[in-house]
Amino acid sequence: MDIVTISLISLGILVVLLSFGVPLPYCFGGALMFMCSFGGGTMKGTMAWGFSQLANPVLLCIPLFVFAGAIMSESGIANSLLRFVNVFVGRFRGGLGVVATLSCAIIGAISGSGLTGVAATGPLLIPEMEGKGYPRGYATALVANSSILGLLIPPSVTMILYGWVTDTSILACFLATLGPGLLITALFCIVNLVIARKFPLILDPPKTVKETAKEGVKHTSRALPAMIMPVIILGGIYGGIMTPTEAAAVAVVYGIPVGFLIYKGLTMDAFLNAAKNSATAVGSIMVMIIFSLMLSQIFVMEDVPQALVEGIFAITTNKVLLLIIINFLLFFVGMIVNDSTSIILMGPLLLPLMNAIGISPVQFAAIMGVNTAMGGVTPPYASILYFGMRIGNAEFRDVIKPAMILIGVGYIPVVFLTSFWPNLSLYFPSLFGY
Amino acid sequence: QAKTLKVSHVRPQDTAIDKDLRWFAEKLEEMSGGNLKAKIYPSSSLGDFTVVQERISLGAIDMACQPAASAADKRFQLAYFPYMLKNWVQAKKNYGVDGPLRKVVADLYAEQNIQLLAVYPVYFGGIALNREPASPGDPNAAKGIKLRVPPLKTFQLLADNTGYLGTPIPFSDAFTAVQTGVVDGVIGSGAEGYYASFKDVTKYYIPSNTHFEVWFLIVNKEYFDGLGDDLKKQFSDTASQFEDHRWTTAEKDQAANEKRLADYGAKIVPITDEQIATIEEKIHKTVWPAVLEDVGKEWGQSILGSIVK
Amino acid sequence: MERFFKYSLTILISMLAAGEFFQVIMRYILEIPVMGLEEILVYPTLWLYFLGSVNASREDTQIKANVLDVFINSDRAKLIVRVFADLMGVIVSFWFTYWSWDYFRYALKVWKESPTLYIPTFYAECSFFIGLLLMTTFALIYLIRNIGKLLEFEKIEKFEQVEQGA
Ligand code: NA
Ligand code: NA
Repeated sequence: MDIVTISLISLGILVVLLSFGVPLPYCFGGALMFMCSFGGGTMKGTMAWGFSQLANPVLLCIPLFVFAGAIMSESGIANSLLRFVNVFVGRFRGGLGVVATLSCAIIGAISGSGLTGVAATGPLLIPEMEGKGYPRGYATALVANSSILGLLIPPSVTMILYGWVTDTSILACFLATLGPGLLITALFCIVNLVIARKFPLILDPPKTVKETAKEGVKHTSRALPAMIMPVIILGGIYGGIMTPTEAAAVAVVYGIPVGFLIYKGLTMDAFLNAAKNSATAVGSIMVMIIFSLMLSQIFVMEDVPQALVEGIFAITTNKVLLLIIINFLLFFVGMIVNDSTSIILMGPLLLPLMNAIGISPVQFAAIMGVNTAMGGVTPPYASILYFGMRIGNAEFRDVIKPAMILIGVGYIPVVFLTSFWPNLSLYFPSLFGY
Repeated sequence: QAKTLKVSHVRPQDTAIDKDLRWFAEKLEEMSGGNLKAKIYPSSSLGDFTVVQERISLGAIDMACQPAASAADKRFQLAYFPYMLKNWVQAKKNYGVDGPLRKVVADLYAEQNIQLLAVYPVYFGGIALNREPASPGDPNAAKGIKLRVPPLKTFQLLADNTGYLGTPIPFSDAFTAVQTGVVDGVIGSGAEGYYASFKDVTKYYIPSNTHFEVWFLIVNKEYFDGLGDDLKKQFSDTASQFEDHRWTTAEKDQAANEKRLADYGAKIVPITDEQIATIEEKIHKTVWPAVLEDVGKEWGQSILGSIVK
Repeated sequence: MERFFKYSLTILISMLAAGEFFQVIMRYILEIPVMGLEEILVYPTLWLYFLGSVNASREDTQIKANVLDVFINSDRAKLIVRVFADLMGVIVSFWFTYWSWDYFRYALKVWKESPTLYIPTFYAECSFFIGLLLMTTFALIYLIRNIGKLLEFEKIEKFEQVEQGA
C-alpha cells in the first residue's frame, strides 16, 4: 500500500473514533497508533519531540488567557463590562453577537494564535449570550469562529513562519491577511444579525439617545475599574511594554484584587474553582494538541504532504483550476496537520507554482493564512472549535451546525476571494510600500 | 533496497545550507552507486536542533547539519564561547581537519552515539538593532539598549558585559517584541540569521564578531559504524568535499548576507579591529570564567589553551 | 481527590501568572530582566498541562466530538457506543503510556539539563508518563463502571422480557 492510502486510512480511523465519542487526545492517538503499526512511523524519539513542542513558550499565552478570562467572569469584572456594553447594544437584535465577534477580533489582534480569543472571551461571552436567549451551541460556534481572526489580524505566528520559510517581508505578510480578516469580521457581524432574528432573544426596551447617555454615565463609574483591564492589555502590548503572554499574566494579577475587593465576585472558593477549571480546560486541549502534533510529525517524516502535492500537480496548468485545487489541497492538509506545520511544509512547496501563475508571495501569504486559519475550525483537526466546546461547555451536536454555517458564509467565500481578487490582500501592504 | 536517510537542518529551503545539503545528497547517491540516499528536511520540520540531536542519538532521524545542542552535555557550550576565534583563518585552523576544537566536538558527539562527519562554518555573529547604536565599540559604556538574548548563558552574559540589557524573550515573540519596542534589538545570530528572521525590523547591524557560528554534519553512530568499509569511505569523502566547499565560500557568504541586510535598508555600523579587541579582552575576563565554571574548569582551560592562535 | 486537584492546579497556574508578571515588573520598571525564568516556567507548565488533563479524565470531561450522538436515541445503544469508546480510549491510552514509560526511562538515563540554570529537565519530562498513567487509570475506571451499567441494563431488560413473557 502506498503512503497516501495508509494516511487516508488513519484519517478514517480518526473520524470513526471521533464519531464514537472517544476523548479527542485518544482519537489522534488511535490514528497515530495505526501510522506506527502499518505506516512505517516510529514512536522512538517522538515523545521527546512532543515534549519540546509542549515546552515551547509560544503556547504559554493560552493558559494565561484562559485564567484571565475565568477570573474576569468570576470576579464581576466581565459582568460590569457587559452591563456597560449592554447599554449601547442591548436593545438591538443580534447586538451581543456582534460584540462577541468584535471582542474576539480585538483580543485576536493582540495575540498571535487562534486559541486566545476563545480563551479570553469564551468564559464571559458564551454564558452571557445564552442568558440573553442565544442557543449555547451557536454562541460557542460564533466565539470559536471569530477567534481564528487572531491568526489573520496581525501579529500572527503563522505569518512570521511564512515570511521566514519563503523569504518574504513579515510585515507585508501581516498586512496581507488584514484585508481578508476584516472582511470575515464584517461577514460574521452581518450573518449574526441575520441568524439572530430566529432566536427568542431578551432585548432591552428602546431608548432615546439621552436615556442611553444617562445610563451609560451611570454604568461608567461602576465599570471603570473593569475597563482598565482591556486598557492594560492593549496599551501594554502596543506601547511596547510587554508581550501578549505577559499581558495575560498582568491581567490575571490585576483581576484578582479587583475581583476580591472592588466587585467582590471573587471568594476563595470561586478563585480556586476558576483556577481548577481553567487548568482542566487547558490540560485537555494541550494533551489533544500534542497527540495531534505527534500524528502530523509522523505524516511529515513519511513525506505525506509532498506525496499529495506531487499527485495533484500533474492535473492541470489552468490558473483558475489550479487555484481552486490548491485551496482544496490546503484545506485537506489542514485536516492532517496544524497551521504552523502546514505553512512550513506547503509554503515553499507551492510558492514556485504560484510564481509561475502570477500570484505574488504576499498574496499567497494571505491565501495560506486564510486556509490554515480555517483549518482550526474544520474537523477532524479543529482544535479551536473543540477548545470552544470545552470552554463553552457545549456538545458537538449543538455546535457543528452553526459552525458549518459560519464557515460556509464567512470563510469559504473569503478563501476564494483571496485567491481571485488580489487587491483584497495586496491593498494594505501596498499602502506601506510592499 | 537502499535506505533513504532523513537529514534535518534549521534553515528554510533554498538557503545556502539547504543547497549545500542537496548537493551532498546528490553526490552521496552518485558516489555510492545508489546505495546511499538522503532526503533533506528543511526549516526544522523534524524539530528544533536540540530535539533533532536527541532523535539522531536514538536513531529515529539519521542525520542533520545544525548547531551542537548542550542539553544532554553542557560541555558542548564550549563550541560557542564568545570571542574565542578572531577570524576565518584561525577558525579553519581550529575547526578544520585535525583542528583541536573539531576533535573536542567529535568526542563529545561520540559520547551521544553520534558520528561527526563534517564541520560547516556559518558566520561570525553580530548585533541587530532597530534604533541607533550607542558607542558600539566600547564594552564599558552603559547603552540603555534592550537586546533579546536566546536562552543560552553565554549570550546573556555577553549582552550584560558589553553594556546592553540582555532580555530573555521567547523566539516566537521576538519579532513582534522588536517591532513594538519591548526590546530594541537582538543578539546571538549573524547577518544571515537576522536577514532571514528580522530583516523588517533591522535598522542597524553591528558586525562585532560576537561568536563563531559553526554547524556540524552528524549521523547516528550505530548506523555509520554498521556500514561496510567502502560505503563508509564514500560517506566520509562526500562529507569532506561538502566541508571543503563551505570553507571556501563561508566568508563570501557572510559578506553577501551583510550586503543583503544593507540593501534591505539596514545601516552596517563600522567597528574597528581595535574596538573588537577591547571587547574581546573584557569578555575573556568576565564571561569566560563564569562559563568555564559550568563546563568544568580544568577541562575547559585545557581546551582553550590548545586553541591555535 | 477533588481538594488535591483544586489546590495543585491553582498553585501551578498561579505560578505561571506570577512568573510572567514578575518578568514585566523587573524588565519594564526596574530594568533588570530576569534570566532563566522562561526555563523555570517549563516545569509548572508541563505539570499544569498533564495534571489538568488527568483531572479532565477524572471528571470525565475530556473533550469529545460524538457525532453518533446525533443519530442515536435509545439509551441502551448510547451505552454500547460509550463502552466501545471507553474501550478504544483505554487501548490507545495504554499504548501511549507504554511509550511514555519508554521516554521516562530514556530521560532518566540521559539526564538533560536546562540551558542556563542547569535544572534537570527530567522533572518536567516525567509528567508525560505520570500524567498518562493516571489518565489511563481513570479511563479504565470509567470503562469498568460503564460495562457494569451495561450489564445491569441487560439484566433489567431480560428481567422485563421474562416478566412480559410470563
Ligand atoms: Na493576531
Ligand atoms: Na481542520
